[in-house]
Amino acid sequence: MKLFLRAYARNKGAIAGIIVVLLVCLIAALASWVFPYSPWDMQGAPFQPPGDPDLWLGSDSLGRDVAAGIAYGARVSLLIGAVSTAAALCLGVTLGAIAGYASGALDDAIMRFTEFFQTVPSFILAIVLVAIFSPSLGSIVSAIAVVSWPPVTRVVRAEFLSLRSREFVQAAEVLGHSHTTIIWREILPNALAPVIVLASLMVANAILLESGLSFLGLGDPNLISWGYMIGAGRSVIRLAWWMSVFPGLAIFLTVLALNLVGEGLGDALNPRLARRR
Amino acid sequence: MSLLSVQDLTIALPPGADRPHAVAGVSFTLDPGEVLCIVGESGSGKSLSAAAIMGLLPPVLRRERGTIEFEGRDLLALSQTEMRAFRGARLGMIFQEPMTALNPLMRVGDQIAEVLAVHNAGGARDRVPELLAAVNLPDPTRLARAWPHLLSGGQRQRVMIAMALALEPTLLIADEPTTALDVTTQMQILRLIKDIQQRRGMGVLFITHDFGVVAEIADRVAVMQEGRIVEAGGTTQVLDAPEHPYTRALIAAVPHRMAAHIPAEGRPVLEVVGVRKTFRRGAGLFGGGTTVHAVADADFVLRKGETLGLVGESGSGKSTLARCVVRLVQPDEGAIRFHDTNLARLDRRGWKPFRKRIQMVFQDPFASLNPRRRVSEIIADGPIAAGTPRIEALHRVGELLSLVQLDPSAADRFPHEFSGGQRQRIGIARALAMDPELLIADEPVSALDVSVQAQVLDLLEELRQRLGLTMLFITHDLRVAAQICSRIAVMQHGRIVEQGETAQVFNTPRHPYTQSLLDSIPGRSWASPVTSLSRAAGEGWGGGNVTTNTAQPHQVTNP
Repeated sequence: MKLFLRAYARNKGAIAGIIVVLLVCLIAALASWVFPYSPWDMQGAPFQPPGDPDLWLGSDSLGRDVAAGIAYGARVSLLIGAVSTAAALCLGVTLGAIAGYASGALDDAIMRFTEFFQTVPSFILAIVLVAIFSPSLGSIVSAIAVVSWPPVTRVVRAEFLSLRSREFVQAAEVLGHSHTTIIWREILPNALAPVIVLASLMVANAILLESGLSFLGLGDPNLISWGYMIGAGRSVIRLAWWMSVFPGLAIFLTVLALNLVGEGLGDALNPRLARRR
Repeated sequence: MSLLSVQDLTIALPPGADRPHAVAGVSFTLDPGEVLCIVGESGSGKSLSAAAIMGLLPPVLRRERGTIEFEGRDLLALSQTEMRAFRGARLGMIFQEPMTALNPLMRVGDQIAEVLAVHNAGGARDRVPELLAAVNLPDPTRLARAWPHLLSGGQRQRVMIAMALALEPTLLIADEPTTALDVTTQMQILRLIKDIQQRRGMGVLFITHDFGVVAEIADRVAVMQEGRIVEAGGTTQVLDAPEHPYTRALIAAVPHRMAAHIPAEGRPVLEVVGVRKTFRRGAGLFGGGTTVHAVADADFVLRKGETLGLVGESGSGKSTLARCVVRLVQPDEGAIRFHDTNLARLDRRGWKPFRKRIQMVFQDPFASLNPRRRVSEIIADGPIAAGTPRIEALHRVGELLSLVQLDPSAADRFPHEFSGGQRQRIGIARALAMDPELLIADEPVSALDVSVQAQVLDLLEELRQRLGLTMLFITHDLRVAAQICSRIAVMQHGRIVEQGETAQVFNTPRHPYTQSLLDSIPGRSWASPVTSLSRAAGEGWGGGNVTTNTAQPHQVTNP
């Protein structure tokens, strides 16, 4: 563990990334304490430029606090990012593990199914799914999960295929372990490294997808989100640039930070590749 | 003046390594027309010394002091450009892994011609067939147009030698050039190098870990241990009268004695009858692909308390056959009778009770232990899966570790904290935790250094006697087989071509393939000091008329 942390710390960008991610988490956690009012409520005059001590990121066309919107939006973004990634991982790891371990006809069937999802453009599919099931937190999370599991399946399957023929797995077979024990105890822990890296990038991608959906007006109507704020500020961008710029910056920084974290994790979990750089 | 003179060469390791210097104060000289062997175990710094001469040291390693003089010029003082003119033209090098040393996207002939073109030698293309012929490759003109993947390992190594010799260098550095090759191919390559060296009067710096190879090829020997040369001298002197304790230990560790087993007369534990296994390679959705007969009609009987050696070169099907016995591979045909049960007919559930009784030790100690589990879990997992209470299984771990001569405190550590030999002991402890009757050892020592190899072999032999194990021992190394097996079965192309008592197979081989295998044992004519003693006791294999107390030797010969 200590070794892992040291390898991770060697990547300066990854340190910056983790700091930004933790900061976003902190903002999300403290949102209701710093802004003890609903982000949908009017807090001052409309179109207040940033710099006002009460509305330091300005207010929007209905006089709502942009800073409060960003803080509450962080909750939504992180929640959707984490939950949809978790759901996609469950589905992707399970299918990938089965495909890689079973091989043969089952593997073929699962991989063709996966490819079917990969051929459909993911954002369009997400829009269609959310539009059909009406926008809500649940439907958005499910839609994002549905479009982001195929890469996980492919990675996990590849890991399983190579680990399967390793001698320690054969040894487990000779010791008489059941299939489930071999998958769970012998192979899966050794296949996790690339999945962890992939997961951090998937969270970033999920946040982007969610922002895209709310930008198009397909967000959960009861929850404020960064994408929705940009969408709302779009028509008045020449009048009130801060309405779109600050949520945009929030998305940009969070996604960049998560990508940096992913790269740092990749270096730390695969130190031989990192040193070559 | 000597051709190559290395004086006080010292190469520092990066801070935090297990010792300060990879190579410490190494000095040696090499005369034209001489073969100098540098012998040592892995990590002794022998390959780095060669890399330093070629100017191929990895960037993290730094030369602290010392000089390398070649034909009177200091190689270390040369610039990159000057060094490039030397490499290839005056200094040739052959590497260990012929499979990866050739560019897969270039025809063989073009690669050789490129070496000539780089050094501005005229008529590059015309000289290629001549060079290929010089390394005894058949049909050079056609072979020059072949792609590397079409060649066997031995052929590729010949091409590498042809490339190294293209500009007639005066010094050839060979870094374990035969380690990755089969024993019969190894002998051919050794003879080829020796032959070319004598014809051209080159100096050869030959790096190896195998004293048999040394006996075969060297004029002089330098033994390296932990970055230092501990002993150097003429081949006969070092091999027959080693002075340094490390050299003595290394030579004693070379498998050299014939096992003095009395062949078992007990009831058969394992009978393998007519087993076949065919693999289909590269078959896609629409058929096609090729079939490989990995095991074709194998029969053998393993009696209680004996060790049967399954010997063969790579691709002979010996590992597949062993994996059929433990159902890592499902045989296509034939019967595998363990006592009275035909294992080949059982399904996964039916197999379960036999998992306790048949265990396996694997080849690669670095791949055969799960890196994410502690040693205690690795060893106790099997018994727990077989129904032993967890507490009891964990309690036995300490006992098992001392059985394989490891400290019981090893239980709480992870596999990466151990050396290759120690890991192999953990692998053996894992197999023994099940109290098996039959132990299948698939090349258990071939990934280990020779001194560690000897320890593991001794351990296996001791355990076999103490626990009354029956063993199926798979190996490509005939010397190892001779030391540990009471009977030997020789496999070629998936068939068992000969089997019989070890002494009989070694002294009066009947099948031509067995004969060629025996002739290819490197250093067969060399009898190490210890061997001479045991031979006097009638246990050596060198003599023709060794009498053994054998029962009727039975033999399966395939025409």
